[in-house]
Amino acid sequence: MDEKVPKSNIIETEIPMGTVHPAALEPYRVRLFVEDEIVQEAEITIGVNHRGIERIMEGLPVEKANALTEKICGICSNSHIWNSCRTAEMGLNIEIPERAEYIRVIMGELERLHSHFLYLAHGCEVLSHETFSMRVFYMREIVMELLAMIGGNRVQYGCSVLGGVRPRCDLDEAKLLRLKNDMDALEENLTGFVDRFMADSILLSRVTGIGVLPQKQAIKLAVTGPTLRATGVARDLRTTMFEYDNFDFNVITQPDGDVKSNLIMRALESFESIKIIRQAIANIPEGKVVNRDWEMFDTDIVQSYIEVPRGTLYHSYRLEGGRVRHSIIRTPSMANIGAMQYACIGDQITDAQLCIVQCDPCFTCTDRAIEIIRR
Amino acid sequence: MFENILTNPIFAVVITVLVCFIISTLLPGIERKYIHARIQQRIGPPVTSPGIMAPLKFMFKENVNISSPVPGLYKALPVICFIVVLCVMIALTPQAYMIPALASLVAIVGFLKVEEICYVLMGALSKSVMSVNMPFPDQIKGAAHNNANRSFIEDISAKRSLRMITYGSFPLYLALFAPVTAAGSIFLQDIVSFQQVNGPFLFTVSGGIAAIVFFIGYMIILNEYPFSIIKAKSDVIEGPYMEYAAKYRAVVVITRGFFMFVLGAIFSVLFIGVPPTIMSWGILINIAVALIFVFMMGIFSAFSPVFTNRQLLPTILGATLLGILSIVLGLL
Repeated sequence: MDEKVPKSNIIETEIPMGTVHPAALEPYRVRLFVEDEIVQEAEITIGVNHRGIERIMEGLPVEKANALTEKICGICSNSHIWNSCRTAEMGLNIEIPERAEYIRVIMGELERLHSHFLYLAHGCEVLSHETFSMRVFYMREIVMELLAMIGGNRVQYGCSVLGGVRPRCDLDEAKLLRLKNDMDALEENLTGFVDRFMADSILLSRVTGIGVLPQKQAIKLAVTGPTLRATGVARDLRTTMFEYDNFDFNVITQPDGDVKSNLIMRALESFESIKIIRQAIANIPEGKVVNRDWEMFDTDIVQSYIEVPRGTLYHSYRLEGGRVRHSIIRTPSMANIGAMQYACIGDQITDAQLCIVQCDPCFTCTDRAIEIIRR
Repeated sequence: MFENILTNPIFAVVITVLVCFIISTLLPGIERKYIHARIQQRIGPPVTSPGIMAPLKFMFKENVNISSPVPGLYKALPVICFIVVLCVMIALTPQAYMIPALASLVAIVGFLKVEEICYVLMGALSKSVMSVNMPFPDQIKGAAHNNANRSFIEDISAKRSLRMITYGSFPLYLALFAPVTAAGSIFLQDIVSFQQVNGPFLFTVSGGIAAIVFFIGYMIILNEYPFSIIKAKSDVIEGPYMEYAAKYRAVVVITRGFFMFVLGAIFSVLFIGVPPTIMSWGILINIAVALIFVFMMGIFSAFSPVFTNRQLLPTILGATLLGILSIVLGLL
């Protein structure tokens, strides 16, 4: 598809939305510049949820700082604490028990299911299809209960610690059996939902060709994760992460970069997550879940990238006397904001929120970054 | 004396309207509790909540200052809408047939148009906090377009309502005039008499097609999914109703329920030939039709996303062509 060119001269009307709007999961401000209900340019401003977590992390003991990273996002909380622990583990050369790695993968994939289901449900809600939205939320409930079973909470599980996972997150036979049964139920429900969705011509007419993000533009905007894969780029950091070495899964891509591609991407990727969890259940090794045998020392800046539900997550800091220094966290939503602004162009105002949530429905995780505009 | 009161036409109209109004307050609850909630496998609100308890609650709430350039007119519009719907209901009762100017299709179409125009005015006069602007040029991100006209999202509703008046409600009005082709008169009395002699218009080919078109028009004029672009949750949310609170909100809620019933009664009169009156068991047919329409609308809306202009235009065009077909068949 040709690159969409925003209009820079004649803009008829500005439609501001937010910072509080019922169609938005979180507070942000959108300015839509429209002509005859067609969006010519969009501008998204965040900053309402700024909490300064990186600043608070400065000088904290690494264990406390790791726990704090979980508060960055309510949906990807496990991903943050996992990557934060991973950063320290890489710096301190801590060896992780294999069983702990498996449990981390299970938690990571459950969180991916939780995130993708929330995405699908919210997408249906913005389409004003409440019935489908409810149906996906019911499926998500299975995942939430599993996360609560392992982590003790529906969000903020506190699973990863330096050297492995918390002992309370260990999986006994009963928990593994429940995981296995629930994966079967989930697969059945998800298959039914996808079949029904793909057979609904009215719904497809609402999502096909809407909010198109061409591949070239996605790469230019440094978009990562499912939003990038929905444009046809087979790039998934899990293929390079050592934690996933023992797992067989496919990197799902879709060709068009529109809302339909994004929705299908998430649904198909959920099947891959179920596949990974099943492999983890079948092959989880015996042994301890945390390695306490490590020493603290000062490190250089350590960087860690992992694939989280929304894309590539970056954590970096250095350790000085067991305390965190120069912490930087970059979440995939940062790049996704540019994609959202671009995706809105050329579509109806009614589709604008859909174009926004197709890239990423929440922003709070990235509400720490500061963009410096040099004039 | 008691017999005199019962046969008094004014008394009969008042009681009929009152009974219909009481039943209409249950319709929004039935739609939400027994259709939407059942389809979505949730409990849903109590059946009396959306149509009875909510307006009662709103009635006793403290009002807030409405943000509107013409607050007086803006606040009067829900009441005007209610009066218009009431007038349609009165026009449908057989006692009103003695006033031909009122009990004619032209009058009903006129009343419905007033109801639609009220919606445009509400949108144009509403300015909610949802899209409030900064009191200075917004340069947070070095904005490129500081000189663009700034519009409230309710304004979009007004523009959309205007479009819907132009072409959106076309199917409904075509369906209303389809029975006229069979009866050869625009007066309700003649249309009812024709059907009492020849059977309901609904059971003719022309009537069947017109009934489908009427149903589509029914959903459009009630702004129900998938035709709810005037108050789509993804952008304009509640549209022009956004600022109404307290007793004004109560009137809005009551009017919607009553309008659902009245549209069902219009169908009963024009397509079945049974006018609503407390003096006849035929009122049960009116109630049944109102319920059937609510059930059908609930099912359709539960399984549809909101249509944007891209889907709306072809749908309305298709429904309009069907309406024309029904009229042509009626004339043949």
